[in-house]
Amino acid sequence: MSRKPSLTPAQVRELARYADLPLAPGREDQITPILAAWLEDANALSRKMSAAPYHDLVPATVFTHPSHEEGEQ
Amino acid sequence: MGRTSAELIDLTLAQAARLVKDRQVSPVELVDAALERIAAVDHRLKAYISVFADEARQVAKAAEIMTAAGHDLGPLHGIPIALKDNVATKGTRTTAGSKILSDWKPQRDATISTRLRQAGAIFVGKLNMHEFAWGGTSDNPHYGAVRNPWNTEHFPAGSSGGSGAAVAARTCYGAIGTDTGGSIRLPSAINGIVGLRPTYGRVSNHGIIPLAWSMDTAGPMTRTVEDCATMFGTMAGYDPNDPTTARAATCDYTAGLDQGVQGLRIGIIPGYFFHHLQPPVLAAVKQALDTLVGLGAQIVEVDIENIHGNISAQLTIESAEPSNYHQRWLRERPDDYGADVRGLLEIGEMLLATHYLQAQRYRTLLRNEFLDAFRKVDVFICPTLPFTATKVGEMTVVIENGVVEDMLSAIMQYTGVPSLTGLPSLNVPCGFDPNGLPIGMQIIGRPFDEATLFRAGAAYQSVTDFHGRAPKL
Repeated sequence: MSRKPSLTPAQVRELARYADLPLAPGREDQITPILAAWLEDANALSRKMSAAPYHDLVPATVFTHPSHEEGEQ
Repeated sequence: MGRTSAELIDLTLAQAARLVKDRQVSPVELVDAALERIAAVDHRLKAYISVFADEARQVAKAAEIMTAAGHDLGPLHGIPIALKDNVATKGTRTTAGSKILSDWKPQRDATISTRLRQAGAIFVGKLNMHEFAWGGTSDNPHYGAVRNPWNTEHFPAGSSGGSGAAVAARTCYGAIGTDTGGSIRLPSAINGIVGLRPTYGRVSNHGIIPLAWSMDTAGPMTRTVEDCATMFGTMAGYDPNDPTTARAATCDYTAGLDQGVQGLRIGIIPGYFFHHLQPPVLAAVKQALDTLVGLGAQIVEVDIENIHGNISAQLTIESAEPSNYHQRWLRERPDDYGADVRGLLEIGEMLLATHYLQAQRYRTLLRNEFLDAFRKVDVFICPTLPFTATKVGEMTVVIENGVVEDMLSAIMQYTGVPSLTGLPSLNVPCGFDPNGLPIGMQIIGRPFDEATLFRAGAAYQSVTDFHGRAPKL
């Protein structure tokens, strides 16, 4: 992973196209600074969480079968 | 009998409830006092989107008749309450602070609306908020920017900014807020009131417009801890309509309020909780800790090794999940969103699934570290946010050394921890800055142990008067 993504408004427009999100003209200029900062931090977190000590951690999301849970009140 | 409206609206929720029960005050008087106060001050605050004057008076009359006949619906019998406008109320407009839902009238109550009604609450109105709860300023482009009653040039924080301002301004005895990344605790701190983010799964989200499903909660916002515990007891508990609610037992949350904090172990994380914050906030929270120590509590320094990184995880999850919920509207009605929320929703579409899942794995890591730390402490205490209220309209904040920071990241410096870990967290007012703007501290507890938070908060309020001060409007 790149440590500091140098995101450009043109790249943001491409990202939006991949997400099938039509961006009105100029929207990419509004989004780019915040998205760049958040992506940088998110990539740092991904590097941390993909390190060996955390290999066995599972996401804090749970799939349940509600009808089979015990103790219905 | 014979109390003025000003005297009535200055009562706490618990005081008003006792007077109704003893037939010394009528629900009609309470509702009239609340409506009169709304009419007098809300044009300056913009805390309400809808006011139910006729309906509230009719329900109050019915409550008065029931009281006279010896019937008591519950702890909130005859008490004027207001709801954040993302909580469904049957047959009445529920906008979520948006243009998109400006005409939506739900066919059913949210579960908590039903439970509050069953406990005797009278709804006087629906409260303004940050659009779709996605933001922390309550600078709403469709219904007006909510103003802070302590200084109307300043913001009330958010997203439950209307709830915070309405309670602080004494236009109702309690309000409902919702909290994903801090939206109950932040406006509670900034407006000088008490607010509880319950344990995730403790209170039903059924019938509430979601922000981020895996972190959304709803809770009470009041002037005192006793009021908060009283309201919470009517809301908490399993709901078959919400699969995320837990079957954990509830209790009488007012029962232990006078038990004090002798021997209570308060955890602090010096390198994080008291780092990067405005000096008046630091001083107020340290003074509060000293006060609690004086009451018999003890301070335990704890290290949470992986606490850094929580803001990124918070922002990633809080971006991705709303962008999923709003995906159709963002394509069909993008111009109906305010500029900031539209941008945040667009950004959420451009984060990767791997980012989202790494953030969810980080939650597991952080939760495990806190659960481990709770073997050494009973609660954690920290500031609720690192600064006091900024001016309305500002999207940046200066915390220290003149550095300008993005509001959204800065405001969640401390509130993100309970949001990610699902732990309950209570804001309690603990001071004012030199400009007279409120400061709050955050008490964080074990899962489903809201009672200990109330006990600590009540002990603090028993020897301080910050919660008793009223803004001059």
